Amino acid sequence: MADETPNPEPTLVERWLEEQREWQKTTLAYLDSIVRDEEFLTHLGNAMRGSLLAGKPYPTPVPPAASAPESDFADRLDQVLFAVRELQGQVADLRMTLDEIRAEQGKSGTDANPAAGNSDEGDASDRAQRPDRMQRVDR
Amino acid sequence: MTLPVDDRELESLIELSRRSRARLERLHEVLTSPGHYGAGATQAQVVYAENKLRLLRLLDDDGQPRNGPPVLFIPAPVSRYFILDLMPGRSFAGYVAAAGFDVYIADFGVPTREDRFCDLAYYVDGLIRRSVRAIRRTSGAAEVGIVGYCLGGMLALLYSALNPGTVSRLALLTTMVDGDVEGGIAWIAHRMGLAGESYEQPRLVSAIEVKSWFEMLAPGSNSLIGRVSDLWDRLDDPPERLRDVRTMASWVDDVVPAPGRLLAEMHRQFGPGRNGLMKGEATVGSRKADIGKVSMPVLSVSAARDTISPPEGVDAIRSIVPQAEIVRLRGGHVGIVAGRAAAGLWPRVVDFLGDGNANANANTNGTGTGNGSGNAAAERADG
Repeated sequence: MADETPNPEPTLVERWLEEQREWQKTTLAYLDSIVRDEEFLTHLGNAMRGSLLAGKPYPTPVPPAASAPESDFADRLDQVLFAVRELQGQVADLRMTLDEIRAEQGKSGTDANPAAGNSDEGDASDRAQRPDRMQRVDR
Repeated sequence: MTLPVDDRELESLIELSRRSRARLERLHEVLTSPGHYGAGATQAQVVYAENKLRLLRLLDDDGQPRNGPPVLFIPAPVSRYFILDLMPGRSFAGYVAAAGFDVYIADFGVPTREDRFCDLAYYVDGLIRRSVRAIRRTSGAAEVGIVGYCLGGMLALLYSALNPGTVSRLALLTTMVDGDVEGGIAWIAHRMGLAGESYEQPRLVSAIEVKSWFEMLAPGSNSLIGRVSDLWDRLDDPPERLRDVRTMASWVDDVVPAPGRLLAEMHRQFGPGRNGLMKGEATVGSRKADIGKVSMPVLSVSAARDTISPPEGVDAIRSIVPQAEIVRLRGGHVGIVAGRAAAGLWPRVVDFLGDGNANANANTNGTGTGNGSGNAAAERADG
């Protein structure tokens, strides 16, 4: 009967060498992910800033050039664009009101849903502030 | 066996190497597994859209809207909405929906340059009012329950003051009403220069600047070394815990720019030394927002360890809305809606919205409250 020789404990040097081989595997895994997944670099960059934020880069300060005051032209264009956004909301209000009127007519006014039929409390205020909004844009 | 000194050094070096490598392998595992990208956890349909706003209606597992009483969640417009619908098992809105309510969430989106002109009236008497209107039309209900979180609660309170007949019940979560209470994000923003923000010539306040205010509340979180060191230490945590941290980081670190006009107006009306809500001087556009008209049942929840909205400034609502039920929970600003402390909040809000009679068919077991997490900044900010 052959003697069973137990596996000898790896020496410290052997363990050190094995550890180095494991590091190579870890490094290769990172390199592999960098090559295979474009977003991985972004995620890795975020991790290097201490964040696990996914899907987008960690926010960084705006470059001075980008935060420079807008030109008068760009500023006025933004105001016009914002006024369009406000108009979009007012049109949405009008459309909802029309829908409600149609719905009320469809129900012949007998079983109208009080919720759908309510003239919204905010409508008056919206109309009231419209001139103010336009003034603000005109400036 | 006693190792010689050189061997002991090598032994400790190998151990240090092994631990460092294990952390990097854990990081690799987390970074390569699907993360939460801020798309919300619960399937939803857009029932109204305006500018950057998307009004989301949560759907059930079969993709159908629910028929229960409508509830609108209003998050702070200076952060991403999905903290209220973070991930499966950790969705506050999903929990309320599973209790049988017809849940809607206002996703204000990410403001761009022209949105720097958005003011209180634009949000309160524009986006929120039309959202409520769209919900009433969609659901057929005359009144809508509203849950406002942080600054979203402030907007909800002002809306309710202007349109009390359209709100059935109002839950305000960590909503600061007393601007004279020191500390908190409003105070920090004031100290950091918000007082100089122009209403007439507003900026789009950059995300990094908004983030810096929050970081001021979490000492060390604005330090690169501190953040990296925190993350490095956390890499010993189990992968599922780190995935939670990643999900929370996707909210905490994904700050959005803020409309300068809104911030200037908020500061001018409600900031330190102005305190328009407590003094009964709040206005929205040209209209006075009479808080005394907030006559519906109100639940105001503060968080004991909240450094963003100090609980004293939240609980002060009792002096302007006498019928408000005041609740102070353990936990921090984020923790009570999406962390460990959420276990104390979610059922309470469901109970409040259901007037103490939560839907008998409620199935809230599957949504759980999760593990709670938060990256270093969030947890520090939570106190």
